[in-house]
Amino acid sequence: MTMPAPTRHDEAWRYSDIAAVEAAWPLPAPESIIVPAGGNFARTIVQDNGAIHQLNIAIGKGATAAIYILNIGGDFGRVDLNVTLHEGADFKLGAVQIGSNAQTLEIITTVTHVEPNATSSQIVRSVLAGTSTGSYLGKVSVARDAQLTDSVQSVKAMLLDRSATANAKPELEIYADDVKCAHGCAIGELDPMGLFYLQARGLAPADAKKLMLQAFVAGVFEGAADEEMLIEAALKKLGELV
Amino acid sequence: MLKITNLHANVGDKPILKGLTLSINAGEIHAIMGPNGAGKSTLGYVLSGRPGYEITEGEVTFNGQNLLDLEPHERAAAGLFLGFQYPVEIPGVSNVQFLREALNAQRKYRSDTPLSGAEFLKVAREQAGALSMDMDMLKRPVNVGFSGGEKKRNEMVQMGIIDPALAILDETDSGLDIDALRTVGDGINRIMRKPDKAVLLITHYQRLLDYVKPDFVHVLADGRITRSGGPELALELERDGYKELAV
Amino acid sequence: MSDEIDIKDKAAWDAADRVADYEHGWSSDIETDFAPKGLTEDTVRFISAKKNEPEWMLEWRLKAFASWKTMTPPDWAKLNVPPIDYQEAYYYAEPKAKPKLGSLDEVDPEILRIYEKLGIPIAEQEVLAGVEGARRVAVDAVFDSVSVATTFRAELERSGVIFRSISEAIKEYPELVKKWLGKIVPMHDNYFATLNCAVFSDGTFVYIPEGVRCPMELSTYFRINAENTGQFERTLIIADKGSYVSYLEGCTAPMRDENQLHAAVVELVALDDAEIKYSTVQNWYPGDAEGKGGIYNFVTKRSLCQGKNSKVSWTQVETGSAVTWKYPSCVLNGENSVGEFYSVAVTNNYQQADTGTKMIHNGKGSRSTIVSKGISAGHSNNTYRGLVRVAPNAEGVRNFTQCDSLLLGSLSGAHTVPYIEVRNPSAQIEHEATTSKISDDQMFYAQARGLNAEEAVTLIVNGFAKEVLQQLPMEFAVEAQKLLGISLEGSVG
Repeated sequence: MTMPAPTRHDEAWRYSDIAAVEAAWPLPAPESIIVPAGGNFARTIVQDNGAIHQLNIAIGKGATAAIYILNIGGDFGRVDLNVTLHEGADFKLGAVQIGSNAQTLEIITTVTHVEPNATSSQIVRSVLAGTSTGSYLGKVSVARDAQLTDSVQSVKAMLLDRSATANAKPELEIYADDVKCAHGCAIGELDPMGLFYLQARGLAPADAKKLMLQAFVAGVFEGAADEEMLIEAALKKLGELV
Repeated sequence: MLKITNLHANVGDKPILKGLTLSINAGEIHAIMGPNGAGKSTLGYVLSGRPGYEITEGEVTFNGQNLLDLEPHERAAAGLFLGFQYPVEIPGVSNVQFLREALNAQRKYRSDTPLSGAEFLKVAREQAGALSMDMDMLKRPVNVGFSGGEKKRNEMVQMGIIDPALAILDETDSGLDIDALRTVGDGINRIMRKPDKAVLLITHYQRLLDYVKPDFVHVLADGRITRSGGPELALELERDGYKELAV
Repeated sequence: MSDEIDIKDKAAWDAADRVADYEHGWSSDIETDFAPKGLTEDTVRFISAKKNEPEWMLEWRLKAFASWKTMTPPDWAKLNVPPIDYQEAYYYAEPKAKPKLGSLDEVDPEILRIYEKLGIPIAEQEVLAGVEGARRVAVDAVFDSVSVATTFRAELERSGVIFRSISEAIKEYPELVKKWLGKIVPMHDNYFATLNCAVFSDGTFVYIPEGVRCPMELSTYFRINAENTGQFERTLIIADKGSYVSYLEGCTAPMRDENQLHAAVVELVALDDAEIKYSTVQNWYPGDAEGKGGIYNFVTKRSLCQGKNSKVSWTQVETGSAVTWKYPSCVLNGENSVGEFYSVAVTNNYQQADTGTKMIHNGKGSRSTIVSKGISAGHSNNTYRGLVRVAPNAEGVRNFTQCDSLLLGSLSGAHTVPYIEVRNPSAQIEHEATTSKISDDQMFYAQARGLNAEEAVTLIVNGFAKEVLQQLPMEFAVEAQKLLGISLEGSVG
């Protein structure tokens, strides 16, 4: 039995390109990754052709998982992560989405801390030009038993054109009292004082803008095995926007 | 070198500069002093082209060229340097990368050949050393996590690397302890006290002028120069305050 | 092992006993005139007839009732509410000794006594006889379904301020009411708002004319007294150009084992340069320590900042109700208009709150601030749900949101569900959220200075909520601070 394709009334698809989703429906089952106790897992996802990626990741006791995402290609690109952390596990997400024209790009995460002492950190940066839409729907859920959870979400988006759209829903669902959960979200344009500072030192406006955008996404891929490739691909796409 | 004639400027609807006239020749160091709110920082921003400042009257030429027609980066390439009162933090961009890009952009504008990485690092190391700044700090993101004094010192390192013809230094002495003040003062003298260069020091206090001796001192009050004189005027201001002299 | 359980049980019973002392939890013996139980078109006609309403008002109600029948209750909130049987409630209850409005002498002395007990200065004389220099507050008191007294009317009228029960306003100022009623919260906005349109019984109407600064605080006190009665009040406040008003709203209800329904609609409109400050202290009966009884509070509050430089500020302290579903919002249409939302929501025992705000930025240069402090204790769940939206043409929008949650004990839940949707590059939107508990160090420090555990928690919680409490008018701020302490009784130990 296949589920009907989602509509905008489905919370996890509220900002999606529904026509593109319908065309891709039904989706294959999510890839399932189990990181055994004490194990380390890392994956880089470059979404450059309009695909829907779905991953279920279970991180065992004391294990770590790091996911790096560069979401830049196709009319509709979506990466959906469903992560479960067991005792003392660590999850790290570094994601950049860069949209132009009429692209719809989104990153959906559900990070569930089911046992104590696990840590999760999510950094998402979006740069959106043209009439593109970039969304982040991220839910951090802390179960009753998951004391001493430490979780952060840092979400920032930069709009380059008036017709671009940034959506963010950094959600917390917390049932344990001794936890540190924080999220920050900022949406805006490039800091005009920063741009002026760069220009006052001699950079042309476009170069100053590019340098600021580069700074905006820099650091997200720190620690990735293919950090250079990711940064290079991100800069190439940024270069097309400015 | 710099000729400001009857300059009027607004921020929003509010007139800040109201007919400022000032000439600076090569080889001279000028100090502009004045009470808070007189328009000192506005003068620095207007000269370097910060958006949001509207020139309603007057003209400014820099080496014969109409300065007000140029974009901020073109003014920088033409040899004008603004030392910021509050240097801006730019997370994610290292000082080294920033300065090399800035310097080479200026050189390109003037049709000079760009400096290679090694050539640039040599210059950077020299300038950082002269201002006793650790090279590690140059590798850190621009001004991020710097103390007030470190930011000001970093401005001077940048000035040394860029080597401008005219430096407008906005409250460069604020936030400095006495040792840092001497280091920064020595830096200004070493980099800028040359026959083909000029400096406009914008300051509230006399103390920087103990280290960087000005040739001319001007009082800026309510958007215009109300008095000009030699170094002795700064001492008089320090003694009597602005109240007596401002009007 | 079994000893330990006994001790815990005893502590729980003690806590339950303390909470059972819900301060306003007595009901009063007042003869009441009810509409027939249940909800049909006849109920709607009955209410309209009772109020001697003009035909257009009845039509409007019937239209709302017809569409309500086709609607379903919203299910997206993080709330667990059993199905409500709308046929089992009374939709209209009126104290029998009908007071002549405006003349306090004729109000049933029993009602006056109740308000006195609640500490509400309903009698002007009392207020006037009060401490010299004390601020005066004009009060509209709504008792079950009817406004029983509106004070200071004459004095307000001298400055042109209209302060009336909405039933009177419908008859006396039909044009003003018609112009704005249902314009800010449309009739079909949501299930509960539509229900309110059909059966609203009374509420408050305020009009502040152009350029007038309302000479005193206006206030409404709501009380549900009768059993099995829903309260559906309706408030409409119009601030004309350049005017200012501060409006306070307080709510209480007696202890009942059954759940009672409260579905209010509040509409505010601020024209050019006008400002409305709307403060609520909501202390409906929250149910007992086992989660039995309590008010279901489904409220739609919205403001329209229609004029340039208009401003609406919502401040709420939510300590009561078994279930709270409430999102006081601002539609910022005016250029440089300002919306503010300051909220403290406390849940204890089995209370559930899903509350927050919506800031819809359509106007250039519009700005908004959201400060939400959620405190969860016992088995309760406390959710902040908010939306910040920036339209493509709204240049220079600013929003700052701060959502902090404090958890007391490990059986409660604290949730944050912010939606941020931005379509203009010049917007600057910042959202921050934190979750914490009271640290052992803080507790120890306070206790070392001589406070017992409960006092220490009250002190720390008040500090946590200070930014919001500061927004309240002074008289309310003191009451709210006490309420926070009372609501959290039994939550430590």
